[in-house]
Amino acid sequence: MRPLDPVVTEALSRRFGAVVALRGVGLRVREGTCLLLVGPNGSGKTTLLRVLATALRPTEGRAWVGGYDVVSEGHRVREVCVYLGTSPGVYAGLTGFENLCLAADLCGRPRRQVPELLAWAGLEPVAYTLTGTYSLGMRRRLALARVRLQEPRVLLLDEPFVGLDEDGARLVSELVAGVKDRGGAVVLATHDHHRARALCDAVAELDSGRLLSYGPAGLAGAVNRG
Amino acid sequence: MRAWRRVVAVARKDLLLEWRGRDALIPAGSFGLAVLLVLGLVSGGGWEAAPPALWVSLLLAAVVAAGRGADREGEEGTLEALLLYPGSREDLFWGRWLAVCVLLLLLGAGLWGVQVLLFNAPTRGVGVLVLAGLLSAFGLAAVGTLLAALLTHVRAGPLLMPLLFLPATVPVLLAGVRLSEAAASGAPAGPWWGVLAVFDLLFLLVGPALFEVVVEA
Repeated sequence: MRPLDPVVTEALSRRFGAVVALRGVGLRVREGTCLLLVGPNGSGKTTLLRVLATALRPTEGRAWVGGYDVVSEGHRVREVCVYLGTSPGVYAGLTGFENLCLAADLCGRPRRQVPELLAWAGLEPVAYTLTGTYSLGMRRRLALARVRLQEPRVLLLDEPFVGLDEDGARLVSELVAGVKDRGGAVVLATHDHHRARALCDAVAELDSGRLLSYGPAGLAGAVNRG
Repeated sequence: MRAWRRVVAVARKDLLLEWRGRDALIPAGSFGLAVLLVLGLVSGGGWEAAPPALWVSLLLAAVVAAGRGADREGEEGTLEALLLYPGSREDLFWGRWLAVCVLLLLLGAGLWGVQVLLFNAPTRGVGVLVLAGLLSAFGLAAVGTLLAALLTHVRAGPLLMPLLFLPATVPVLLAGVRLSEAAASGAPAGPWWGVLAVFDLLFLLVGPALFEVVVEA
């Protein structure tokens, strides 16, 4: 039975050798909502996001993203989901324009959107400059433009505010709002609770790979503890 | 249509990065040239030694060139983003394969030119050499692309690359040498075309399928 909610995990576990990064995590993110993952370093937030993005396979348990199984239907998951990790994943030897054209070609979007996206990200003046000369914040803005290009139904963000100024943080907010408005779901892991609080509808607190608390009721407590 | 667009996009990206950085062609070309010079000195520069010297230098240069694209992705942290784009990962294989093919053909042309000068080798049978070079590049690029993906996350990857690549590509070396000798002497090459064709067919069929498995692991 295919789950209706955009993100569902059941008893999800992931080991790296002897280290257990996730232990039986069960979550459900509903349409049009954003889930904030909180917890100390090494609590399993990034591992959970990477399993949902199909970058890692779960050791045990199951997960569905956009209604598709992350193991047996990984290619379908990648059609509906975008993961933005801590690395912006842009090519230093390409210009901002070229990076976005590459993204457009790879995800089957028209290249004519690229100039508009560069303007949205505030990168128009450096569109034809190699991204190797960009600051971290500028590279992250470019990565955000790439996310916007893909218009995902499910958005997975790992520390999206790192390196961004207030304008850059506003781009993250716009992306999250856009996904929620389209009836999608966002899972966001960050230590910047101040910025994340305004975007999220629910909070899941992880520690040592375990889910300690989950749900809107625990929002304030979890955020304050995480 | 979309698959073709993805293939061309990956190949163009790899070639553009190579054009700007030249971090595969220069080391691979220099290495191939050094090998060619050493073999030329050892063999005394007789034209009979030209085909083995050319193909050995090309094969060793290919080891350097084939892995560079994957190394670059690893260094820049772009591999994960590339793998998480929607669409078949076989397209990524074909894109990288195409870029490696172009690099190998450029290396082959350059090394052939040096070999002609160094060994005073005859230039007849160029058509045969071009065809042999093309078929060899297809197979070598397939093996190189697959192994580079396999070794991306292996700490000793750069060391293992030649250890796996060279034994796997011995049929290309043998066929290339025999075909070059046949081209120079005007003799029929016979079964060596078949050896190259079977090698290409095997790795062009197995390569994309295994690539998907390798990058998933």
